[in-house]
Amino acid sequence: MLETLHRYGPDLLTGFGLTIFSWLLGTAFGFVLGFLIEIARRFGPRALGYPIRAYVEFIRGTPFLVQLFVLYYGGPLIGLRLDALPAGILGLTIYGSAYFTEILRAGFDAVPLGQIEAARAIGFRNSTIVSRIMVPVMMVSALPALVNFAIILTKETVILSMITVPEIMFQTQTMMSETFAFVTPILILALFFWGFVEAISRIGRRLERRFTHYLIDRS
Amino acid sequence: MTHQPAAPAAAYLRNVNKFYGPFQALKDVSLDIPPGKVTCLIGPSGSGKSTLLRCINVLEDYDSGEVRIDDQLIGYETPGGKRMAPRRLREMRREIGMVFQQFNLWPHMTALQNVAEGLERVRGLSRAQAETRAREALAKVGLGDKEGNHPSHLSGGQQQRVAIARAIAMEPRIMLFDEPTSALDPELVGEVLGVMKQLAAEGMTMVVVTHEMGFAAHVADRVVFMERGEIVAVGSPRDVFDAPSDPRLASFLQGYRERNSLDF
Repeated sequence: MLETLHRYGPDLLTGFGLTIFSWLLGTAFGFVLGFLIEIARRFGPRALGYPIRAYVEFIRGTPFLVQLFVLYYGGPLIGLRLDALPAGILGLTIYGSAYFTEILRAGFDAVPLGQIEAARAIGFRNSTIVSRIMVPVMMVSALPALVNFAIILTKETVILSMITVPEIMFQTQTMMSETFAFVTPILILALFFWGFVEAISRIGRRLERRFTHYLIDRS
Repeated sequence: MTHQPAAPAAAYLRNVNKFYGPFQALKDVSLDIPPGKVTCLIGPSGSGKSTLLRCINVLEDYDSGEVRIDDQLIGYETPGGKRMAPRRLREMRREIGMVFQQFNLWPHMTALQNVAEGLERVRGLSRAQAETRAREALAKVGLGDKEGNHPSHLSGGQQQRVAIARAIAMEPRIMLFDEPTSALDPELVGEVLGVMKQLAAEGMTMVVVTHEMGFAAHVADRVVFMERGEIVAVGSPRDVFDAPSDPRLASFLQGYRERNSLDF
């Protein structure tokens, strides 16, 4: 087993790295895109409402694997030729944005209208109302759901192996098919994800404390 | 209603109409807000008092008529014309302070930050200048020692005083109060009314929607009685409370006195 680990160690490390890398970018870009979509829906022209809803429903209504295939194999048909890794990250971004935008919509809806009116009455511009009032207030209720979805996305990254991104699932499968050993690679994979998710949970809890500190009774 | 105060009005409404779907919340309302005076709006629930108040800073769009602040039209570019550009509306709103029934403080900010935020973001003061002015405003409402508290660690009366400090720190020309004591426990009403009396004594132009008839009777310079979206009576507190000429006003006051009599 040690020998196997020695042989496959560097590949596994590359796999871990690529999984974390694609998750990090996919989640960050997905969140930003989801945020922009929500802002456009909320403050943009009313005509944007329908296409945005269609986008969200399409992404949520189809499997991630299918979306990824459409993007990677179908992309060239419309001149979008991407390598596997950028295609995977773009796929995660699009997939994530639809869910993030819905979480943010619910979060923004939960901001008491009076707090927004108070800011309007003082003469704040919309961008200030969003950044200084709505986002911090919304985060109290939306952050657990945002972190939860970020965790779900960690596990969606394994699908990137299907378009040949050499992330951890890809490496594990290679290791399995070459050594015919199944238990060790799968255990390594499981332990990796467990640790990865645990780390994200911790960061999430820390962020939650930061956004809710004022609700905690200091007396 | 055609009564014109001696000094030019700080604000006025002319033939303002407001609809919510088929329901007409304001019916051809005209009113002058005299400068440096306290105007109290009274009337039954749903009579349009809050709607009228919210049309003054256009938190509520009015459908027709004119609302002018210092003779400047607010809400529309021209009477009956295009909606006012957001930037211009923001500039005009700076001059109008507003205090809400539910305080509407921002929960993630301390009392000091709640007051300083507008000074910094809207008035463009530096953080230090904004905080200095915010401290002065908090001291004025008697909360100098609570600047570090978040709203969740303040009583309702204290929250409302912070909200008043937030509005006066911006040095508005007019202050609007939308039932400022209606959400308070009875024992906390006095501290808020006290601050409002002090503002009135300093000559602040105030428009107050209130159910506190005592405040209206003792502090108001003019009392406006509304019913069903119309202004039914306008006059001095003495005219309105002691010699109500309109039967609807008389019946409203009668009902109020019966509810608040002590024979329970």
